[in-house]
Formats: sequence, C-alpha cells, structure tokens
Amino acid sequence: MEEFVGSDEMILHLGPQHPMQPGPFRLNLKLKGETVVDADLEIGFIHKGIEKILENRTYLQGITIVDRICYLVALSNEECFVGCVEKLAGIEVPERSQYIRVIMGELTRIQSHLLGMGEFGEFIGFVSMFMYTIKEREEILSLIDMVTGARITHAYLRFGGVREDLPEGFKEKALPVLNSLKKTIDDYEEMFHTDSIYRERTVGVGTLTADSAKALGVSGPALRATGVDFDIRKAEPYLVYNDLDFKVCTETAGDIFARIQVRLNEIRESIYILEQCLDQIPSGPLFPENTPYGRRTPVMRVPAGEVFHRVEDPRGEMGMYMISDGSDKPYRVKVRGPFFPTLQALPPLIIGTTVADVAAISGSMDGCTSEADR
Amino acid sequence: MVESSIIAIPESLVPFFPFLRGILGLALIGAIFVGAMGAVWIERKLAGDIQRRYGPIRVGKFGLLQLVADAIKLFTKEDIIPRNADKLLFKNAPIFMMSSVFLMLVAIPVGAVFIDGVEYPLAVTEMDISVLYIEAMSAISIFGIFMMAYGSNNKYSLLGAFRNFARMVGYEVPLGISMIAVVVMTGSLNIVEISQAQGLHWNIFLQPLGAIVFFIALMADMGRLPFDQNESEEELVAGWVTEYSGMRFGLGFFAEYIHMILGSFLVALLFLGGWNVPTFISDHAVLGLIAPTGFLLLKTALVLCTIVMLRWAVPRYRIDQVVDLSWKRLLPLSLINLVWAVGLGLYLGA
Repeated sequence: MEEFVGSDEMILHLGPQHPMQPGPFRLNLKLKGETVVDADLEIGFIHKGIEKILENRTYLQGITIVDRICYLVALSNEECFVGCVEKLAGIEVPERSQYIRVIMGELTRIQSHLLGMGEFGEFIGFVSMFMYTIKEREEILSLIDMVTGARITHAYLRFGGVREDLPEGFKEKALPVLNSLKKTIDDYEEMFHTDSIYRERTVGVGTLTADSAKALGVSGPALRATGVDFDIRKAEPYLVYNDLDFKVCTETAGDIFARIQVRLNEIRESIYILEQCLDQIPSGPLFPENTPYGRRTPVMRVPAGEVFHRVEDPRGEMGMYMISDGSDKPYRVKVRGPFFPTLQALPPLIIGTTVADVAAISGSMDGCTSEADR
Repeated sequence: MVESSIIAIPESLVPFFPFLRGILGLALIGAIFVGAMGAVWIERKLAGDIQRRYGPIRVGKFGLLQLVADAIKLFTKEDIIPRNADKLLFKNAPIFMMSSVFLMLVAIPVGAVFIDGVEYPLAVTEMDISVLYIEAMSAISIFGIFMMAYGSNNKYSLLGAFRNFARMVGYEVPLGISMIAVVVMTGSLNIVEISQAQGLHWNIFLQPLGAIVFFIALMADMGRLPFDQNESEEELVAGWVTEYSGMRFGLGFFAEYIHMILGSFLVALLFLGGWNVPTFISDHAVLGLIAPTGFLLLKTALVLCTIVMLRWAVPRYRIDQVVDLSWKRLLPLSLINLVWAVGLGLYLGA
C-alpha cells in the first residue's frame, strides 16, 4: 500500500483482532469516506509451525497434529495426511472403513458449512442466523461425537482404516437428524431468497470472476460459485466417491449470494451422499487383514518416496506433499490449505467496496486463518 | 373533548399544578429507568425465543434480576478514558445524551386519568408545539451519539459517527413529513390534542402509508437494526461505544433504550389512537382512572416488541443503501401521504 495518505483519506487497520475475522490476520485499508481505495493483507499471526512439528513426530503422532491445522475440518485434514501415508506404504483400505471415512468427511462438510453460513449471517448483522445454524451443527457434532468420541479434534483415522467402528444404532440416530436438516436447509433457502435486505447485501457484491479465481488458486465453494465445475471428489476420486451418486454444485454469479447458495446445495448433496453410504455400507473388517496395521499400529516405517494427495475439504482443495526417507517420521510435509489462496483473493475483491462489505465478503469466503498460516 | 384537558381543570387544583407536575416528572424518570430495564429484559427474552434459546434464566425469577446484576457490574467497572480522547466531549457526551432523552420525555403524555368524566393527561408539560419539540429533542440525542464517537478519537467510532449523520440527515425528513401529515389532519402541533382528536378513528387507518413511513424512519432514527450502522458490532466493533466502558457506556446504552421506549410512545400516540377509550369505560369511576393509561402502555409495549423482534429477524443495511432508501423511497412516499392527508383532512372537515 502506498504510504501517502491524502487529506480526505485514512488508514484503518482491521485486525489482527477483530470480530469479523475467522482468525487473526490484518487488513490494512485505505479509506476515502466509507469506500476502500486500497487494501493490503498481512498474515502469519497464528503460524504454529505444523509442518516442522510433523517432521519431528512419528506418523501416528502426526494424526493428532494435523487435527490442529484447523479444528473445524479436522477429519478432512486427517483424511489427507492418512491418505498420503497409505499411498506411500501401499495400504489398501477395506471398503467398510472407506465408507465410514466418507460418512465422517461429509458430516464434517455439513457442520463446517453450517458454521460458515451462521458466521456470515452475523457479519451482515443477522445475529439470529448464527444461533440457528449452530443448533443444527450441534446435532451433527453429536453424531460425530458418537463415532469418534470427540467433537472437534478426533484423531479418528488410522493408516488402513478407522479407530472405531460405527456404534450400534448410528443409522437410526443419523437419519432423523439428516431428514430434519433437509427441511431446515429448505427454510434457509427460502429465507435467503425472499429477504430483500439479505439480497441487497449479497447479490452482485464481492463478485469473483472465474479467471481470477483460477489464477489465484481459489478452490472450494468460492470457486464453484463462479461456475467452475471443479471438485476433487469428482476430478480425482478418493475413497469410494466413485461409487456414489452426487453432483458438483455450481452457480454462475460468483458473488456472495452464489457462494452461500453453493454451500446450501452442497449440504443437500452431502445429505444425499450420507443416505447412500448408510444404505450401502458393507460389513467387514476395519483394517486390511494379515497386515500389521490396526487400531494401535506399532512404530511403523514408511518406504522412502514422495507423494501428493489431495482431498476436497469443506473450504476447497486440501493437499499434502509428503517425502519419506524410510524412517518412522516423515522427512517433509508440505500442506496446501484451501484458505491461503482464498485469502489472497480478498484484497482485490474489497477495493472499491465499503467497510460494511469488507465484513460481508470476508465472511462469505468462510475461511480459517489457522489453516492459512498453519 | 379537545378543550377538556386545558380548560376543565377545577380551580382549586390550579395552585398545586406545578408541584404535581414536578412529582409526575420525578416519578416518570424513575419509571422510565425501570421501563428501560424492562425493555432490555424483553429484548433478551424475545431474542432468546426467536433464536431457539432461553435468554436470561439464572438471576432471579425468569432472569428478571439479570439487569440489576448488569447494572451493578457497570457501576463497579473501571471508567477508562483513552489518553488521546477529547476529554470534555468524552466525559460529558453520555450525560448530554441522557438529558436529551429526558427532555423528550417531558413533552410526551404517558397516559390520562378520567375523574368524573373529565380528562387529565399525564404529561409533565403541555406545550402547543410539543410535536416539533419532541422531534427536535430526538434529533439532538443523535448529536450525543456523535459527541461520544468523535470524543473517543477512534477510527471505528469516527466511521460510526459519520454514518450516524448520513442516516440522520436522510431520516429526519420523512419522519418530519409523516409527522406533519398527522399535524395537518388534526390542525394542532400539540401531541395531547393529536392523541385526543383521534378518538377511536386511529390515524393508522386514516394514513396507513404515513404510519409505515413513520415507523421505518423512527427505527432509523433510533438506530435499531436494520439501521444500526453506527454500531455495527461486526465491522466497526460497536462503533460509537468502542472506547466506552462502565457507567458512561451504561448511560449511553440506557439512553438508547429510553429513546426506543419514547419512540414507541410516539407511534402509539400519533397513530394508534393514544389513550382513547370508549366513553362507557372512561365514565366508569375506577376503570376511568386506570384503563386509558393501561391501553396506552399496552399499545406502546406492542410497538416496542415489534421493534425488538425486527432486530433479530433481519440483516443490516449498508449505509449507502440506507440513504438510498430514505431519499428515493421513503421521502416520495411521505410526500404522497402528506397530499393524501391534506385531501382527507379537507374532506372530513367539510
């Protein structure tokens, strides 16, 4: 940002501690009245050195560390990390475990989208929205809690399988929750489509074009809202996503309204996937038979090699690049989180808008600074 | 009926009148504080209902003492004054704000008693231009917000203050014009007379458009969501009160709630028929004493609840949209309503 500030301009530092942020980052705004004429992003306030920590932990310990990249989507981070190791070690995951992983991944997606929408509602002054979605999210979290024993940091996935089987009566408990969620999502959609203030605040605001989204590496709902049909679950299927029927939700407008609409539709698709999974899930072992891999894997050494594995995180493309030197610890893990590129898209989007829209646009990106900084 | 309040006072009571009005004023100040606390409680309970949670339940029965607990907290908190603040403005602005809403209060009749069929409005003062006066005092309380924000010497507060003024300039116009429409129909600027003249033909039925414009403009005037751009917790970190703490914050906060209650009184008095009741009730010895005031308070409470519930049901407008709404939609509507009111007044008068 230029240092010169005109007599009718002022610099406003939004952050690093500010109610509109999903975590500490700083936006330096040059304002002319209410209008943002220049914006500058600073990140790194919550750098935890996750990648370095992973180099000093065994593979099994690494699972609990990747949980902490962003606790909201812990299971999706685990899926990525475990997937890397499985690719390197050539572990074949039994089908039942794959289905359980898909179930947990989709539940994670639903709860993350719900919280994201609620927070966004709060950023445009609609505080009740947060209270609405947090209740549905709580029900989803109880389902996750039933299976993993924890609400946010689970350490649930294991190399070659999952830690625990689905508990008795999980399906019977899950289906009513999902059915009532379907109705609630319809209600939200009706609310968003009919509320004139909501439409005025979101339609045509913070429009991201497909080209700039691709150029910046934006992924997830923010990318799909611009009309790009890209979802890792379709583009590079992992687990059993190939056997499941679902569609990639896209919108064309690329504005805030479209991003929220994509999330709503994705929750619907996730419910559909979950219903299929709960119907089709086969019985069988959780871990590959006649291998040392199990619930308590002893110190395991992974064959030397390099691998890149990516999964569809609720926020976009989560990838990890792992190098193994044959020891019991990874030599290097590079995490490619979805929010780092999305955050880079923020300054160009907010230039020319007003301070109120800064909160709305940054909220609609639904990010996690913790994951961008790692 | 219009003259009754001014002329039909028994001669023997006249010397006591200033004294009685003084007592009424003191009682009102006390009552309005209790009322403001009640409004905060109602707001929290309604917010809880709308958001599928309980609201306050722990302190006292139904959480009724929560506000007392909050008041104790505000009183005992440290009074922080930022080093770079404009001390004169910062310290006195909450007092200024509080005084301006009390000045509004003195002109607003909060009910009436009927003794032997003669009507005595419960107003501290009765001036001929009370509508104009109330409007002016309501506008002045917004200067209090500006003083608080400007004195804080904080960029968020400053933005809040600017928004406040942009909004005020926009909204005082339709608010004033829809008030004038009522004044034109009644032929009086005295709020007591306007209220009495409605009888059982409430102005909301005669001027529905004016009532809607007035209500929306009043919401903006009071800075309630969807028009709380000066506060906007999420982007401006509470805007005009960012730097305030303790009882200075409490004064500003209470002044806002009192402003809201008085606004609800205005709606009830100007558009919902005030305290007017059918004559068989007002002639009754006991009901005549309590029913009119009771009806007015009931109407006020309904308006208050509507305002409160709206806050939790809608998102916030952006400030440029607020100004647009005011100048492009509300102002023409209020002018149409004025023409309608003049025509209707002529027709009814003829």
